Amino acid sequence: MYRRVAQLDSVMGLLATFFPQLCTRIQLPNSSILGRPVYAFRMRAGSGSNRRGVLLVGGMHARELMNPDAIVELQLDLVTSYLNGTDLVLGGRTWSALDIKVMLETLDIWMLPCANPDGREVVMDGDDLWRQNRRDNPGTPCDGVDLNRNLDFVWGVTTSATSCNPCHNTYVGSGPFSEPEALNIKYLCDTHRIDVFVDVHSFSELVLYPWGHAPTQTTDPSQRFTSLATGTCAPLNPPGHQEYLLPRDQLRFRTVAQRIVDAIRAVRNHSYTPEPGRALYATTGTSSDYVYSRHIANPTLHKTYGFAFETGPQIVGDLPNSFHPADPSAIKREAKSGMLALIQQSICAIEFIGATLLGGTTEVQAIRGVRDERFATTAAGRGLIALFERIQTPLLGVILADESLTREAMSLLERASKLIGNDRAIVSDRDVRRGLALLDSLADRVTSRSVRRDLATVRKPLTKASGKSIRRILEDLIGPHRRRARKTPGPKPPKGPSRPSSARRRR
Amino acid sequence: MAESQAQHGSPGRDDRGPARKVRFEATIHPGRKARGANWIDELNVDRVPDSKGLIRALLTADDCVRLLDQGLEVRLHSAHPIRPLDPRLIETDESVRRWLDERLQGIDRAPGPKGSGEPERG
Repeated sequence: MYRRVAQLDSVMGLLATFFPQLCTRIQLPNSSILGRPVYAFRMRAGSGSNRRGVLLVGGMHARELMNPDAIVELQLDLVTSYLNGTDLVLGGRTWSALDIKVMLETLDIWMLPCANPDGREVVMDGDDLWRQNRRDNPGTPCDGVDLNRNLDFVWGVTTSATSCNPCHNTYVGSGPFSEPEALNIKYLCDTHRIDVFVDVHSFSELVLYPWGHAPTQTTDPSQRFTSLATGTCAPLNPPGHQEYLLPRDQLRFRTVAQRIVDAIRAVRNHSYTPEPGRALYATTGTSSDYVYSRHIANPTLHKTYGFAFETGPQIVGDLPNSFHPADPSAIKREAKSGMLALIQQSICAIEFIGATLLGGTTEVQAIRGVRDERFATTAAGRGLIALFERIQTPLLGVILADESLTREAMSLLERASKLIGNDRAIVSDRDVRRGLALLDSLADRVTSRSVRRDLATVRKPLTKASGKSIRRILEDLIGPHRRRARKTPGPKPPKGPSRPSSARRRR
Repeated sequence: MAESQAQHGSPGRDDRGPARKVRFEATIHPGRKARGANWIDELNVDRVPDSKGLIRALLTADDCVRLLDQGLEVRLHSAHPIRPLDPRLIETDESVRRWLDERLQGIDRAPGPKGSGEPERG
């Protein structure tokens, strides 16, 4: 069963009225073409400003009816789990009350469940395979712009599924962001901190990440979309263009996509496929590429990792049933589990403790620098990054539940950031004792055997750290620091970080 | 606002009658006349995913004519009349209210409308 636009809006309005401590409904500045209000919804608990943000978008394509319902149901799931302290069970996947608490207390979760309200009403009242918004295209008898071709990313470059003909179903519109509904996505990214984004579509059981317009490569930074002509109403030129993706970002996209796939599979054993958008078919002007491209087109902007889901299976020969099956419950559970995995992957424990609890960025920057400049450069280091990302959410929950642990974690983070700022700093007996005590306290409190195993992995080298310099400890952990090879002979590289600090990437 | 919800025909083809009231799920193939490797890039169709990697799309009669004119082969797999969603698939205001009340039962709420209230009309 599917809800009408007014019903979706009403649920959000009521949640915001009943639970103002958790939920806020915001009318976006751009109403739909037919004048309907478009609402975003924010969920957060606890205090702290400048949090990391996630944005979940649904209903860009009108006929993909399941996803707006899934997002609004997720709002209610989060409210009830948080306020009742109950687990959220989605088929075979259980999200613990602690998981949900940590998500809501560390992030701003933004949702735009029904980005294209006019289109949704057309599907319900007139044409169940309608895709676009309701723009009246001047000079033609045709209505509609494909909102997911209208964003300012390689806009107006045609593909097999992108058209400049106002009478085609994948019409790009008269210009980038010509459509108010698409402009709302830009507005949310411009006015709020959005670190991670997903646009939820249907169908074919995919988790997509950049790039969608061209094949992806990680070796030639000179091949960038910023040099491509746009608005040409012709195919991509040059035809063999392959878009550069920073290797670390590619790793991040793949890792997060795999965790989303795992969380979806746990619901009912359906295997979604993680892949770059282009593997489905080439597209331009899409939301997930647009949000990620923003920091490249304009380096002053924050980086946003952009994903797209394609929920539900293909039912060959029955498109209506693929887009809006009679019983979408199981698919919605998968979508919600995937979105929760994405939300969980957006948490950064170090940033939360450093920026939100300690109220500064120095500690976070120092630790992020070591992660990006040292750990990310070796296989062993990347393994430790993966380990940390695996355990940070459950551990953050344990830490936040105990004031003395929170204080100790904050204090140790400050100490660690001071130590790693100086390669020659010596780790003291007291440092080691405090670190081990924290690890042991955490191990006592967690129930997951795998998390305890990971904590034991961290504990082992820490027992041998006393009296060693930070440089030595890092070498023991991840191998010698490899500086970048120079192409031409020259003077020895200076001591210190191998790359200028300005090149450090924001997460 | 143009009258027809079942558009996507080229301008000037409004007299096609029944052909404008149906779309086709089709696969598109290069055919013998298609020239060049870029034929896929120039399709401009409403593509839908295909698990076997075929070029599958939702086409109007006008799309079919255009693609055939380009020398492509179009195989129609099913026809979908243009019609509203089955009303049995749409929630009623009452069912939404019941669902919300059930889910929120026993949770303290800030003062607001009694029950879940009437859904607002957009």
